[in-house]
Amino acid sequence: MNHIPMHMTAPAIRPQKMTRRAMAKQQTREKVLQSARDLFIERGYEGATIRDIARAAGMSTGAVFASFADKNELFDAILNDDFAALLEPMQDAVVGATTAREALVGMFGAAYRAHAHQLPLIQAALAASWTRTPEAERLRRESMRPIRSLVLEVLERGVERGELAQRFDLRLIAEMVWDLFLAGYRPAAFDGVSVENQTEKLADRIDVVLTAIRT
Amino acid sequence: MGIRETQKRETRRRVLEAARDLFNEIGYEETTIRAVAERAGVSVGSVFTTFASKADVLSQVMDDRVDALYSELEHVARHMRGSVVDRLCSLFAIHYDFECRRVRLFLAHIAASFSPTLEASTVPYGRNHRFKGMIIDMLREGQTRGEVREDADLELILDTLMGAYAWNYRLAAAGRADHADMTAIMERQIRLIFHGLLPR
Repeated sequence: MNHIPMHMTAPAIRPQKMTRRAMAKQQTREKVLQSARDLFIERGYEGATIRDIARAAGMSTGAVFASFADKNELFDAILNDDFAALLEPMQDAVVGATTAREALVGMFGAAYRAHAHQLPLIQAALAASWTRTPEAERLRRESMRPIRSLVLEVLERGVERGELAQRFDLRLIAEMVWDLFLAGYRPAAFDGVSVENQTEKLADRIDVVLTAIRT
Repeated sequence: MGIRETQKRETRRRVLEAARDLFNEIGYEETTIRAVAERAGVSVGSVFTTFASKADVLSQVMDDRVDALYSELEHVARHMRGSVVDRLCSLFAIHYDFECRRVRLFLAHIAASFSPTLEASTVPYGRNHRFKGMIIDMLREGQTRGEVREDADLELILDTLMGAYAWNYRLAAAGRADHADMTAIMERQIRLIFHGLLPR
């Protein structure tokens, strides 16, 4: 069975040779992203204006707009970075696990923990995710692809170990589990449910799905 | 009923109809109260004497819509035949079919339920007790008919089913599925879950 390697090497963000100009541009971008992230977490999406973000980064609004077309694009860039950064802790959680359930609960629990301190950001992302442009949606899917693949990989290992039955459509199951994971952000972001409770609830739901395919 | 009361009702009806169409045609965020008032042929002021906010208008639009659906459904559900799985599939199919007639409106409704500034008067998506009640009834019947394990946690099954149902709309949001596609996926998800619920 073909596996996606457990430890993918992250693509080099910075090419070896960069002109001074390109480097300055990169630095501006990173500064804007950091200030924007802080403000989105503090005030939510609507509450943070481009003007505030520029001021916090110590630059003009024009300089912000040179890197990002609008607030939406800036917000998406932060979110996509976030999900890309989740890959490593999620992989770590999978490595030590001995069952599919343990691996899935471990990796999603790691994601919930990583996001626990920035729930306003997650709230805004969840609200926006239902009315995205097709292009923004494509980019988001792209940024999540490695972690989604990890879910499928966990299920495939379960089949190899003889823990899960072979005759089921693992892709369908991976999608279901993924959706349950995303749905689990809601109680944490809106009802103040703790990370532990959130993870436990998800574990129960994952069990509903896995029970059907255990050998 | 006095003339005043009749007029008020008429304003409400016209505003809700105009809002329903505009939300679906150009999107919820893009629709202003001014545009709603214009299409309804009423003043902006009279919209605000009837509704607290745009979110309140959306909530009322959705309420009226599901009222119509459920008075029909609660009757139909009693006469559905076949296994519990088949009936559940039908129930979800009816919902997908209904919501996809105005899918942008429905997506706006889901999105609004994630808004941090939800008002007390609005009923967000996900608090649809009639829908949940019908599913629980079917699951219970599944237990009496021996299709569902006695010790199954029905609330948990309900949560899992509702989660799958709602998040399948993401496919519609991405423009990658219509009601028939979502119904087909939901059917596979239901069958899978029920496979794990069989009495041992």
